[in-house]
Amino acid sequence: MRGRDSGQREPRTMSPRRASGASEPPRTARELREARLVAHRRRRADASANPLRAGLRLDRAPDPCAFVLLGATGDLAHRKVLPAIYELWRTNLLPAEFSVVAVARRPYTDESFAAEVRASLARYSRVQPVDESVWAELARRITYHQLDFGDGPGFERLSAHLDQLDAAHGTAGNRLFYLAVQPSQVTEIVRQIGQTGMDHESRSGGWRRVVIEKPFGRDSESARHLNHEVTRVLRESQVYRIDHYLGKETVRNLLVFRFGNGIFEPVWNRSYVDHVQITVAESIGVETRGSFYEETGAARDILQNHLLQLLSLVAMEPPTSFEADALRDQKVEVLRAMAPPDPDAVRRSIVRGQYGLGWVRGTAVAGYREEPEVDPLSETETYVAGRFIIDDWRWSGVPFYLRAGKRLPERATEIAVQFKEVPLRLFRETSGDPEPNVLTMRIQPDEGILLRFAAKVPGLGLDVRTVNMDFDYGTSFVADSPDAYETLILDALLGDASLFTRADEVEAAWGIVTPMIEGWAAMPAPRFPNYPAGTWGPEEAEQLLAREGRRWRRI
Amino acid sequence: MAQDLAAAPIARSVPEIERQLAAAWAAERERRAGRTESHVLARSSVSNLVVVAGQPETAQRCAAIVGATAGRHPSRTLILGVADPDGPAGLEARVEALSIPTPSGAALTGAETVYVAARGETGRHLASIILPLLVHDLPVALWWPVDPQFHSHRADRLLALADRLIVDGSEWAGDGLDRLAALADVAGRSRLPVADFALLRQYRWREALASVYDLPDLRPHLRSVRAITVEFATVEGQPAYLANIVRPVYHVAWLASRLGMSVVTPMRSEPDGCRTAVLRQGGHAVAAEWRPASSDLGPGSTVRVEIVSRHGRDELAGVVAADERSVQVTVQDRGRERAHRIYAAPRLREVELLERAIDDRAGDRIAAEALAVAGRLLAVDVPAAGRPGAR
Repeated sequence: MRGRDSGQREPRTMSPRRASGASEPPRTARELREARLVAHRRRRADASANPLRAGLRLDRAPDPCAFVLLGATGDLAHRKVLPAIYELWRTNLLPAEFSVVAVARRPYTDESFAAEVRASLARYSRVQPVDESVWAELARRITYHQLDFGDGPGFERLSAHLDQLDAAHGTAGNRLFYLAVQPSQVTEIVRQIGQTGMDHESRSGGWRRVVIEKPFGRDSESARHLNHEVTRVLRESQVYRIDHYLGKETVRNLLVFRFGNGIFEPVWNRSYVDHVQITVAESIGVETRGSFYEETGAARDILQNHLLQLLSLVAMEPPTSFEADALRDQKVEVLRAMAPPDPDAVRRSIVRGQYGLGWVRGTAVAGYREEPEVDPLSETETYVAGRFIIDDWRWSGVPFYLRAGKRLPERATEIAVQFKEVPLRLFRETSGDPEPNVLTMRIQPDEGILLRFAAKVPGLGLDVRTVNMDFDYGTSFVADSPDAYETLILDALLGDASLFTRADEVEAAWGIVTPMIEGWAAMPAPRFPNYPAGTWGPEEAEQLLAREGRRWRRI
Repeated sequence: MAQDLAAAPIARSVPEIERQLAAAWAAERERRAGRTESHVLARSSVSNLVVVAGQPETAQRCAAIVGATAGRHPSRTLILGVADPDGPAGLEARVEALSIPTPSGAALTGAETVYVAARGETGRHLASIILPLLVHDLPVALWWPVDPQFHSHRADRLLALADRLIVDGSEWAGDGLDRLAALADVAGRSRLPVADFALLRQYRWREALASVYDLPDLRPHLRSVRAITVEFATVEGQPAYLANIVRPVYHVAWLASRLGMSVVTPMRSEPDGCRTAVLRQGGHAVAAEWRPASSDLGPGSTVRVEIVSRHGRDELAGVVAADERSVQVTVQDRGRERAHRIYAAPRLREVELLERAIDDRAGDRIAAEALAVAGRLLAVDVPAAGRPGAR
C-alpha cells in the first residue's frame, strides 16, 4: 500500500469561517500548510502563465490530466459526462496530454467500452453527427478499468494504471476523479482513494480533485457525516460538489445581471423590494424514478439545492472578486442569515403537497400514488412552498416565497422581485391602479428578463395600464449555449470552484431544510393527494401568500 | 431561416426611410397580433452596423453575410453604396425587416436592413445619412469590406461616428502592406478598436501556437525565441510580391506583441522573394522571415509558422500548419519530435468572422497591440497601443 493511513488522521473539515479561505489567517498547522500550498500554486501559475493565451477562449488551458470516471457504465456517465468530455475535446478545450479512465464493475475491454461510448454519443451528444476523426483521437485516450468499489487491491491496480498513463500520455500526475455513482458509494470510494494515496498532492506536480454529484446527504446529520468522511481524506479545496443547475448559462447570467449592471443595486434591498418569489415548476411527474423520488421528495430534490442556490445568488452581497471562495463566502452568509424553521413555523410557513390524477397539457395523467414504484399510501411530497426570511441588514422583513413541484401546468423556473407600491397613488381616479413593478428573471424556458411597469394609455384621459418590457435571452443572442456539464467539467479541470458547492453551504442549506422535514414527521399524516395534476399546487400555497395580501405570479 | 417580412417601395429621403422602418414593424405587430398573450413585441437590437459597400455586388455579398448573422446580432444594418458619382445628388433606399426564429422556435428575433444608394454629391456625405438612422445608444460598427481609403475626408467623417472598425486586410489590393500601415496609423492615433478579418482568421493558428507552450516545462522557451518563420502561399509563375501578405505579417506581429519583442529593423524585401525583419526580445535578436511557398492555398494564405527557441542547451521548434479543416501542431525538442496533434479546426467562414468581429471585445487589446507592431514592422511610427476605445 502506497498511501497514508487516512483513517488515523483528524478530519480536515474547516470551520465555516476557515472554509472561506479569505477571512481569517490560518490557525492550525494543517491550515497553514494548505494556505502555503495554495499560495505556492498561485505564484507558480502566475509566473508561468502562457502569454500567447491572452485574448483566446481560455486564458489558460487545463493542465495535462487523467479524467477518472467512476461509475462509467451508468446513465449519468453516458448521458451527460461522456458527451460533455467529447464536446470539450471536439472544441479543442482539452490538452493533448489527456486520458479518460473509465471505472466500473461490469466487464469490458477498452474497445468494447469505447464502442458503448460511441453509441451513447450518437444518442446524447448535442452536436450531431459525431465527428469520426475527432472521436478516434479521443477514443485512443480512453481505457477501461474493471473495479468493485469495495476492492482495495483493485484501487491499488487503478493507481498503478494511472501511473503508467502518466508515462504514456504525459498526464503529469494530475487526476480528476469524477464520482458518477450512487450516493451510498461516495464515502467508500473516497476512503479507497485515500488508502491508496491517490489523493496525495505534492509541490512537484500532480493535483488531485474529486467531483461529487448531488445529493450531498439527505439531512443535516448525513451531510455532516458525508463531509466529515470526505474531508478525512481530502482537503476542501480538492472537493468539487457539482449541482448542474449552477452551470446553466442563465444562472451564471444572474451574476452578470446583478453585478454587471449598476442600476439595480441601489434598489436591491428592503427599502424598495416588497417580496421575492422563486419558482421551480415541472410539468412532468416522476417518470421512471418512482423509487428514487419516494426516498427524496421535493424538499430534498429541489428546495435544499436548486431553490436555495437561486435564493443565495439573488440575495447575496456583492463579492469582492469572482474567485471561488469570495463568491461562496457571500452565498453561505445568506443561508446562515435564515433561521431554521421551528415546528410552529413549519406549520405556518411551509406547505407540502402531492399531486393526484389530473390533466396536463391536454393529457390525462395518473396521480403520484399511481405511478410505478410508488407506495399507494405514499406521504412523499411532490410540491413544497415556503415563506422564508433572511435576517440581515439588506433583507430583514422581506419575505422570500419559494415553491417547487411536479405535475404543475408548465415547466418554468423563474425569480420574480416585486417592488413596493408607489408611496402616493396619484392616479387613483383613473380606470385602473398601476400594479407594483416586478423584475422577473426567467431561468427556463425562454430565458430572459422582464420588467413590469405602468404606462399611460394613449388618449385624452389618464388611463394607466401595466405593460411588460421583455428581454428575451434567446432573441437577443440566438446562439448555442454550452451544456452545464461542459461548463462545470472544464471549470473543475481548470481548478475553478466558483460554481461548485462548498461543504459549509451544503450544511447551511440542510440546516434550513432538515427542521422542515423533521417537523413534517412529527405532524399528523398529510391529506394527500391535495392538488390535481395540472394545477399550481394545493390551496394552502395560495393562502400562504393571500393572508399577507399577496399572490403567486401567474406563469 | 430568415424571412422577408416587408419589401417596401423605394424611399428617397431619410424621413421616408424612417417611415418605412416604422411601417415594417407595425406590419409585423399586426401579423403577430393574437399569437402572443401578454408580451408587447419588443425589437431586439444589440448594435448598429454600417457597411460601406461601394459597388452593388459588394453590397449584395455583405447583405447575405449580415443576414446570416442577424440571429446572433439583431442589429440595424445600413448598407451604403455609391452610384453615379457625377450625377445629381440624391439617394434611393430600400428597407427590409427580418424575423429569425430562435433555436427553440418559440420566438422570433428581429433585425432591420436599410440599403442606401447615394448619388452625386450625396455620396460624399454618407455620414449625414447614417447619423439620423442609427438606433440610439447602441454601439456603431463600421464595416469597410473593400479597399478602405483611410487617409481621406470621407474616412475621417465615417471613422468619427464609429465605435469599432471592421476590415478585411487579406482582400486589399497588391501585397496589402500600404493599407495595413495606414490602418495601423489610424488605429494608433484614434484608439478606434479594429477587427480585421485577416487577424481573426488566424484564431485557430493562435490557439495552436499557444498550445505548444501550455506544458509548463516548455514555457520558458517563450522568453528565448530566436527565429520566427512564416511560409505563405504564392501562385506558381507569379512574383511573390503580388501576393497579399497581411496575414503572414500579422502572425509575426501578434507573436512579437505577446512576447514583448521590439522591432529593430523593419521589414525589407530580399532578392529571393523572401522578406525579413529583425526583432529584439530581452537581450537577444529574433530573426523574422516571410518565405513564399508553392501551395494550393490562395495567394497570401499562411502555409506554415515555425518558432525556434533556445533555452539553455535546449532548442525547441514549434511548427504549425493548417488546411481547410484542421491545424497540425508539431513540437521538436532538439530535433526529436516530442508531440504531434491534429486539431479539428475548420477555417472560419465570413459569417463567423463578422460575428467575431462584432463580438470579440476581449480580443480588442490583443488586436490593437498586434496592429501596432505590424505598423512598426512596416516602419510606421505607431504610438504604443493604448486601451482600444479609450478615445
